[in-house]
Amino acid sequence: MKTEMPLSKPIRLFIKQTEDLLDTEISLLRNPEADPNGTLVDIYTYNIEKNIIIFPAHYMGLLKDFIIAKHCVNLLIKGAAAKKSQYLVCSFTGDSVYRGIHQIYIDALKDEAKKDKKLPVQKLIQMLNILFTDFNDDINELPWNPITNARVYHQMPKIRKTQLYYLMKEGKMDMDEMMAYEDVIPRRYFVLNKAMFYARDQYLAKTLPADELMPVVNIPQMKKFNHLEVKEMLTTRWTHTSWYQSKIFGDTMLEIMEKYLQKIDWNAEPSIDYFHDIYQIGVHMTNHFISYMSMKDWFVWEPPKHLQEAQEKKAEYEFKALKKIFGDLIEESSTDSSGGKL
Amino acid sequence: MATLLRNHRQIVVGENYDRVKYEIRKEASMTTNEVVGLLKKGRASAGRTKFKEAIVYYEKALSLDPNNPEAWYLRAAAFIETGRNAEALNDCARAIVLNQNYADAWSKKGHALYNLERFEEAVFACTRALALNGNDASAWYIKGVCLDELGRNDEAQEAYGKSLELEIILDMEAEKKKVGK
Repeated sequence: MKTEMPLSKPIRLFIKQTEDLLDTEISLLRNPEADPNGTLVDIYTYNIEKNIIIFPAHYMGLLKDFIIAKHCVNLLIKGAAAKKSQYLVCSFTGDSVYRGIHQIYIDALKDEAKKDKKLPVQKLIQMLNILFTDFNDDINELPWNPITNARVYHQMPKIRKTQLYYLMKEGKMDMDEMMAYEDVIPRRYFVLNKAMFYARDQYLAKTLPADELMPVVNIPQMKKFNHLEVKEMLTTRWTHTSWYQSKIFGDTMLEIMEKYLQKIDWNAEPSIDYFHDIYQIGVHMTNHFISYMSMKDWFVWEPPKHLQEAQEKKAEYEFKALKKIFGDLIEESSTDSSGGKL
Repeated sequence: MATLLRNHRQIVVGENYDRVKYEIRKEASMTTNEVVGLLKKGRASAGRTKFKEAIVYYEKALSLDPNNPEAWYLRAAAFIETGRNAEALNDCARAIVLNQNYADAWSKKGHALYNLERFEEAVFACTRALALNGNDASAWYIKGVCLDELGRNDEAQEAYGKSLELEIILDMEAEKKKVGK
């Protein structure tokens, strides 16, 4: 790594350690348009020569250090998987897209039957595509998030305050996702989406430990569920709300998360074997989440290249899936989900 | 201005003084506008990480107005990005000579000194920058990093803490802007 950016000593050492363990090179790139989570463009996912960590231009100090640390852990996990066995991600095929979209459609129909104001068909079709894609993205990212954060917390004590700020912000942002569509998308998917983030935040609140991170403290919609008595839980109407259900599902997902992550010694000496074990635990945990959310046949474990090709063919897969569901009612132009809005 | 006066020496002889003064002011203002334009172009190039291109703009600006501290400071910043730290240090020194209270130039000097591993001097430059502008997150961070290198851990933590506070404020402002867009 060669950079003219000032970097704190622990981060410089961590980058060097990552490069040495994986025998690879890491570049740092500041970009005003970068995603607030930073982006890792790595040699295990893309056909490139060196790894690049990109972060927003206004992250000039410890926020930048935290993003780098997080992506170094991600890189170590991917690299260890690639070196010791094979690095795989959750991809999709034409058939799996059909199964996913069909399932969402059936759930949407159930919800729509109860609604006074029905969703226009065009919007419904867009929603099917967007939900499938969102869950694919989430399942590829979310299970790795608590792993990365727990490791950074234990390896980098000097950036803990930064990490806490960052996680509180991330928690709020993730919980805001889909908020505008709460009444549009099937309840089940809204709840599962929130439950995943709830489980992650609750796990990190315990691991860091930081009460501020608990969703019932950090997320406005969940604050009312803090310190509830059982009687209240059973008798009050808000037990029917999506946020309460998210908490209930989230608690179960937290149990799944803890079951797998308790096997990891967060303070262990870093090695390829260690990170490979972490990768395998992450894969098992992801499978358990997928199964819990009844999405088992939506995704397939494949190399990253498969996912990139699938993403290129996504519109085609979606069109075929919708054609199978709706028959001749579907025209090519009606399946476009690129707008990303319902 | 000295160059302009030399150019106008011929006009001064035997001509109306007010007219000459007007001509000089007009030309000076044209030069100032040109320099401002060049610096703007340089900044835009640097924003696109085209630092070598930015340096060319700054050099043109300096040839027109070598007494512009901002031009020296900006070229120093671009030099740092291209690894030319010794030259960056010289440029910071020029900027500071022209304006002793130029906080950003002191901060950039701290950065160049850090890259040259002259940590004690970098701490001094950052401290000076922070005395002039206590809200410079980058200067607090570089100071923290250098103090860390010098083994002054408690002071380093304090500097990191200040840097983080300011960075969080900047981050929140950036979020607000994004939401506004």
